[in-house]
Amino acid sequence: MIRRLRRVTPFQVILVTVFTALAAFMSLPIIFILNHAFKPQNELFLFPPRFLVQNPTLRNFESLILHASNATVPFTRYLFNSLIVAGLTLGTVIIVSTMAGYVLAKYQFHFKQLILSLITLSLMFAPETVGIPRYLIISGLGINNTYFGHILPALASPIAVFMLVGFISQIPGELLEAAKMDGASHFGIFTKMVLPLSVPAIATISIFTFQGVWGDVETSTLFMQEETMRTLAFYVNSLLSGLQNSVSGQNVAAAAGLLMFLPNLIIFLLFQRRVLETMVHSGIK
Amino acid sequence: MQAKARVREARLYLGKRYGMGLLFMLPWIIGFAMFVLIPISWSLFMSFNKVQVAVGGFKYEWIGMRNYRDAFLKDNVFPIELITYIQEMLLMVPIIVIFALLISLMLNQKFPGRFIYRALFFLPVIFATGQVLSELFLQGAGDIPFLEQYNLLPLVEEYVGKQFAETVMAVLGKAILILWYSGVQILIFIAGFQTISPTIYEAVRIDGASPWDSFWKITLPACVPFISLNVLYTIIDLFTFPLNPVLKHIKDNMFKVDTGYGYASALAWIYFGLIFVLIALVLWLFNRSLRTRRVH
Repeated sequence: MIRRLRRVTPFQVILVTVFTALAAFMSLPIIFILNHAFKPQNELFLFPPRFLVQNPTLRNFESLILHASNATVPFTRYLFNSLIVAGLTLGTVIIVSTMAGYVLAKYQFHFKQLILSLITLSLMFAPETVGIPRYLIISGLGINNTYFGHILPALASPIAVFMLVGFISQIPGELLEAAKMDGASHFGIFTKMVLPLSVPAIATISIFTFQGVWGDVETSTLFMQEETMRTLAFYVNSLLSGLQNSVSGQNVAAAAGLLMFLPNLIIFLLFQRRVLETMVHSGIK
Repeated sequence: MQAKARVREARLYLGKRYGMGLLFMLPWIIGFAMFVLIPISWSLFMSFNKVQVAVGGFKYEWIGMRNYRDAFLKDNVFPIELITYIQEMLLMVPIIVIFALLISLMLNQKFPGRFIYRALFFLPVIFATGQVLSELFLQGAGDIPFLEQYNLLPLVEEYVGKQFAETVMAVLGKAILILWYSGVQILIFIAGFQTISPTIYEAVRIDGASPWDSFWKITLPACVPFISLNVLYTIIDLFTFPLNPVLKHIKDNMFKVDTGYGYASALAWIYFGLIFVLIALVLWLFNRSLRTRRVH
């Protein structure tokens, strides 16, 4: 132990100190969100505001659930919608994007270059600006007020395919050829080799996709007219914008904020080890 | 006869192979066409029209380039906001990329607990989008929540004097944004460093190069593709950031009665065109620098 400590140079000590300071600075918002949700009413309005909570309570969560159950749609319904939408979107995006990424990386076919350049181009376009044409298509297909209306717009994710193409092209072609020699079908190669080998990249796109879907209010605002089909993100958003100036709702908003943030954090902690692996192998060079 | 049959067989084989590729692509292509391609081209079409909501749908009236002209001549918010935002961007992009480069250089050193720090620096990425960020923005009643909430201004004033406090606060405010925006860039740089083989460093060290030299002569040139990727990523990230003032202006115009969706999509296309030009410029610059390096 002492020998290990002795090997630590002054340079390393400085590095660790600097990074600890920076890291503490970066984690301030998280600490703030966590503490804010447990503050009792009188602490929420302290001036100057405090980071840490003095007398933590669960009152905020209680009133969040009570507040919603008085309304027409119970809080659990929003949560259920969000979970269903996030789960289904995640699953379909992973399948659709890995399939596309696999053939784009390993096969030759018509329009391949066109598709690749379309992907890069569409990365630059902010989806907020095409809300109305999307609405027209959704209502044209007659899928507003269904879960499809939530899931389908997120299906063709350019970022996911972009990352997967880079990652899958690093899988040696000989490996796939060997599998073909041994009699594996196209589908067999895809499910038995490509999917397991690209797990790190899939983990990365899961983080991005989940974040996007979980926090998305656009589909709920534009495509859903029935309150029962809207998601938690929409509910929290309407709480926040409706309660900006009111005193009584602040505690509800604080609790809802934590609730929106937690799943992101959990998904991130689950998958973060894989993210770096993806970046190392994504073959930018 | 036989040759013909063989050609046909080869064609069939190719067709099968190509077909397999397209078959795997199909779900994605359908989704992409439906919800990205068609909406984007539709919005291009709308940008040349005056779009009004009428009974049972939209009413289009072809007005050519008038929306685009109005954006610069009639609108007294859009050009100013666009120019301010682009100025801000031109300042932020280099700072973010250089900051990410420095941090990732340090994170690439060997020190205890390196992995935890790497994870911590990626962490902001998970709230740099969506709900959490907008909630933080709302709570802070402005841009940087905890600077105001914690009331740092008197503290800063006390230490550096009143005349500098404003500047220090501005830099601090930006510092948080920079930290929050450099997660992915740091990761890309770290990944880039892994592609440089350690034997090169050993060789230069034996030849008597200092760490300073080896950074300028080896690490930096090898990182040019990653720097260009990061510059692109940062530009796109900042431009498509949903809370940015230009996009907000576009969204506000979407539901206004007198301007309508046609005008809003014209604004979006001007904005998109600018990003596109900027990105093309960056790509061209980096390609040129790569080519000149190869010639030498």
